[in-house]
Amino acid sequence: MRTYVAKRLLLILPTLLGVAAVVFVIMRVIPGDVTLLILGGDQTGRIDPQQVAAMRHQLGLDRSIPVQFGAWLWGVARLDFGTSLWTGQPVIDEVMVRLPLSLEVAVLATIVSVLLAIPFGMLAAVRRDSWVDYLIRLVSIGGLAIPSFWVGILVILFLVIYFGWGPPLEFTPPWVDPWANFQQLVWPVLTVGYRYAAVTTRMTRSTVLEVLREDYIRTAWAKGLRERAVVIHHALKNAMLPVIALVGTEFAFLIGGLVVTETVFTLNGVGRFVVDAVAHRDYPVVQALVFLIAFCFVMVNLLIDLTYAWLDPRIRYH
Amino acid sequence: MTTRPRPRSVGFTLLALALLIVSLVAFGPRLLQAADTPRHGGVLLAVIGADPPSLDPHQESTFANIDMVAPLYSTLLQIDPYNYPKIIGDLATEWKISPDGLTYTFKIRSSVSFHDGSPLTSADVKASYDKIIFPPAGVRSVRKNAYSAVTHVEAPDASTVVFKLKFPSASLLDNLASPWNVIFPKKYLDRDPNYFKTHAIGSGPFKFKSYTRGSTFEGERFPGYFVKDRPYLDGYKFYISPETSVRAAAIRSGRAYVEFRDLPNAEVEAIKKQLGDKVTVQETPVTGAWGVSINNTVKPFNDVRVRRALSLGIDRYTMARVLAPLTGLRYVGALMRPGSEWGMPEAELEKLPGFGRDIEKNRAEARRLLAEAGYPNGLKVVLKNRNVKLPYQDFAVFLIQEWHKIGVEVEHRPLETAAWFSDGQDTGNFELIVSPAVEFMDEPDQFLGRYATGSTQNWGRFSDPQLDDLFSRQARALDPAERKRLINELEKIVLQKAYYLPGLWWSRNFVQWTKVKNYVAPPNYYTNQKLQDVWLSED
Amino acid sequence: MSVNYPLVRTAEPAPLSPPLTFAREVASFVRAKPLGAVGAFVILAMLVVALLAHTLAPYDPYLADYSAQFARPSAEHWFGTDEFGRDVLSRIMYGARIALFVGFSASFAGCSLGAMLAVLSAYRGGTTDILLERLMDILLAFPQLILALAVASILGAAVHNVVIAVAIPIVPRAARVVRATALSVKQNPYVEAVHALGASHARVVLRHILPNVMAPFIIMLTAQLGTAILAEAALSYLGLGTAEPTPSWGLMLSGSAPAYAEKAPWIGLFPGMAISLAVFGFSLFGDSLRDVLDPKLRGR
Repeated sequence: MRTYVAKRLLLILPTLLGVAAVVFVIMRVIPGDVTLLILGGDQTGRIDPQQVAAMRHQLGLDRSIPVQFGAWLWGVARLDFGTSLWTGQPVIDEVMVRLPLSLEVAVLATIVSVLLAIPFGMLAAVRRDSWVDYLIRLVSIGGLAIPSFWVGILVILFLVIYFGWGPPLEFTPPWVDPWANFQQLVWPVLTVGYRYAAVTTRMTRSTVLEVLREDYIRTAWAKGLRERAVVIHHALKNAMLPVIALVGTEFAFLIGGLVVTETVFTLNGVGRFVVDAVAHRDYPVVQALVFLIAFCFVMVNLLIDLTYAWLDPRIRYH
Repeated sequence: MTTRPRPRSVGFTLLALALLIVSLVAFGPRLLQAADTPRHGGVLLAVIGADPPSLDPHQESTFANIDMVAPLYSTLLQIDPYNYPKIIGDLATEWKISPDGLTYTFKIRSSVSFHDGSPLTSADVKASYDKIIFPPAGVRSVRKNAYSAVTHVEAPDASTVVFKLKFPSASLLDNLASPWNVIFPKKYLDRDPNYFKTHAIGSGPFKFKSYTRGSTFEGERFPGYFVKDRPYLDGYKFYISPETSVRAAAIRSGRAYVEFRDLPNAEVEAIKKQLGDKVTVQETPVTGAWGVSINNTVKPFNDVRVRRALSLGIDRYTMARVLAPLTGLRYVGALMRPGSEWGMPEAELEKLPGFGRDIEKNRAEARRLLAEAGYPNGLKVVLKNRNVKLPYQDFAVFLIQEWHKIGVEVEHRPLETAAWFSDGQDTGNFELIVSPAVEFMDEPDQFLGRYATGSTQNWGRFSDPQLDDLFSRQARALDPAERKRLINELEKIVLQKAYYLPGLWWSRNFVQWTKVKNYVAPPNYYTNQKLQDVWLSED
Repeated sequence: MSVNYPLVRTAEPAPLSPPLTFAREVASFVRAKPLGAVGAFVILAMLVVALLAHTLAPYDPYLADYSAQFARPSAEHWFGTDEFGRDVLSRIMYGARIALFVGFSASFAGCSLGAMLAVLSAYRGGTTDILLERLMDILLAFPQLILALAVASILGAAVHNVVIAVAIPIVPRAARVVRATALSVKQNPYVEAVHALGASHARVVLRHILPNVMAPFIIMLTAQLGTAILAEAALSYLGLGTAEPTPSWGLMLSGSAPAYAEKAPWIGLFPGMAISLAVFGFSLFGDSLRDVLDPKLRGR
């Protein structure tokens, strides 16, 4: 087991490096840089080539790409993610302003989705091909089919038109003012949670279905156990593995992936920050955020794989 | 039954009437005023679509910067908030221009203090302008080139500032009224000229309270402000929300009282429908226009016939009618804003190619020109654009439709802002590219500089010595009538040769809750942001 | 799906029912999986509309009628007109072409590439496997936005570039699924036996592994169809997808459609419904297809 863990940990490094390198190169290949944006402003700036050159030199953008990459790697090794090209502030500070909100939304949305998905998924599987199953499947597909950016806008419009109410525009942490925090986050959490519940419900349904076909379940039926005992005590445990895997990967995605939700609900989170940083060609911020998100993703995958390996010895000797 | 009024009651009645009239005359105006007496207190809540790279207006060009920090600072001169484009003093109480136009002397008002308590003197003004006009290494000054006429700035005594020029500049006074030229305390500039990128200490009506990047910006009342009894507000707060519909919804729900930039017509209609009188909309023309830059160095656009054909193919009057409700692009004009003191009269404008009223005739002429230039079967072009919907995309959709009618097939390539700047301004890698011109006032130097050879804003990369000559002459023409004549000539050449394709001039919808009082929307979102005289009639 | 095992052949069970004709297969599918049938119907309808758009559409989707901006749905314009006076119904019909093109191309390209890499990886094992797994991990962890941005910036915002931007994230996901199946097939004793009897690598892959990974491949393909359409819509919303005036559903839904939501709700409503319906159809059909194809679920 230990060798398996060690091997897996080692393999993370090349993945992260690979992602970092690819992003690094791509960002610099895309036309445009931060100097043009700052000097150009909205469209009223005067982009004086001399000032551009001076700025580029100041920001270290005129060095060759391998040199820049090397410098960045060296910084990361010392846990220094550099300073933002857009604001001149340390990247870590910028990220920490936004991270708590994204984390809170991700956690709450995951809880909501799990609370909805597991019971409904099980129900749909157990009552396969009945109207209950069809209804649950239709509602879950509905959650996936409607484009996410529309759901958010529709929610806001609905609230404003019929109640003349809009959510608060700034983030207050739950320990400062829980009511304000709730008001701002309830809608995005429900919107995102519903969407992820849809995905997770479908997965739960299919894994439970698979497990219900197994021989040991048939034995349990034959033994005369009641449905609840069979399903919950026998089937559920085994069906949960893939579901947990899914929930884990979705959670990792939630940290930096909620761009549209954050824009629509005026949430100052990591997703929007990534988009802005990319638009601003703020390389250090993009690097740091991509690194962070890839790291979360890879760690979650590792944890899942370790859980699988721990539960299923066959995998370890792969 | 009639009774004759008795003499004594007549007398009383007359006396009462007289007293009534006298009191009305004496106190009436004040009674009316009482309803409109500015109320002290309240925090102005605003929504804004972005936040700026830094807080130093000398180094930024985005409305996100100036809208948020303008209330914290004073400038030497300003545009009268209630009387655009009149220039009045802010820190300057009076000024003299020497007869040869090479010396500008300003008197600074006394007993102005900065937010940290220190007094403001001419040394601070000189230090701030030195930073703008002669920035030290490592400090950018975006508008430096507007002051190329200035040789140096002097502060002979604590309340006088003198600008010395090497040639007369008709626009200097206007440029000195720029909202971006805020006055910083010298002692911080001496320590670190980039200090104000992350700090804000000024002499404005409000002082800096807090800033959470991506989220909020707050200022609070400065009790030591040099204008007595101002500001009326206790403070102001900007919420940053990048999506336009969401900002409109924030106004509707009352989470914010004002949006200082612009909201599209459709949103404004919906807001008015829901809130009625609680909301006031000021529609103002904007000192800005959208057009298309043609790359004059690339075939076939180096052929004036092709360029002129493209201009003839645009029915600008229909465009104004169609795009106004969608985008606010509304006014047909040349290179200076129609309706401003420099705008070209309609009669002259209609004679220029692309501005005539008979569109069928124009289209026929366009096709003929294209055939003559060697494209009888039409032309394929690539139009690059910025991938922002309003007004860029809608403007392009209309143009594409128009050019289709003269046989020009357009491939539309929206680009992200950074790539758009790169292709348009940096590398010149385009055939046609949508490019706007928006400034903080109708200032000929600022608007027309882009038609001079080698200007960094000359995206079309054309060079015409006549234009260069006219431009430098108008820049020095101190007589407004002569200046206007030169400007119109310049415009005619640009439009005859179709170096650049003007589109339409812009208008914006400024939306505020009616309880926000005493704010007159200027023709752009850069000026009148100090909020000195704004008050809230209720919280 | 039947697989040819040249040497290991089980005795065929005696046919208990006559072999099903295509029509009867369809009928039994409809009866067994009504939701899937609905999905299939939706897809077919979309295909028909897309193919026949030039005959079915009442107007040219690019034609802007300035006298009829924001026209309500009426006899003249069944779905109304948009802000430029373009007929929404015609744009929806032509939009089906783009949606299906993007959906099918991206999904097919992504899944095929993913499946090929997965089979290669599973079959060769060893270093190839490790390297390809790393590559797939990198692609999986890679934010799609930056990728789409890169493609849009370098190649330009156009439909075929959107396909590339949408296809690439599909590759690792398809690879993951197919690799698991390919591995399990490879580890089956009969494959070893076939090897021992001298079958070449190509033969083993083509005749044994590929047929068995068909099922998860097809499942992935249909699953990603809907995702691809949604991805195109999201990219157009961010300005990185198709460019105006192309009548793509995602583009019609983005930008100012929220601003017109009260003044002219049909501008956003119909593209939104079209996208939802398409994804609905693909998902329902895909689900049922998986139920049918997945041997474990066949309930035998």
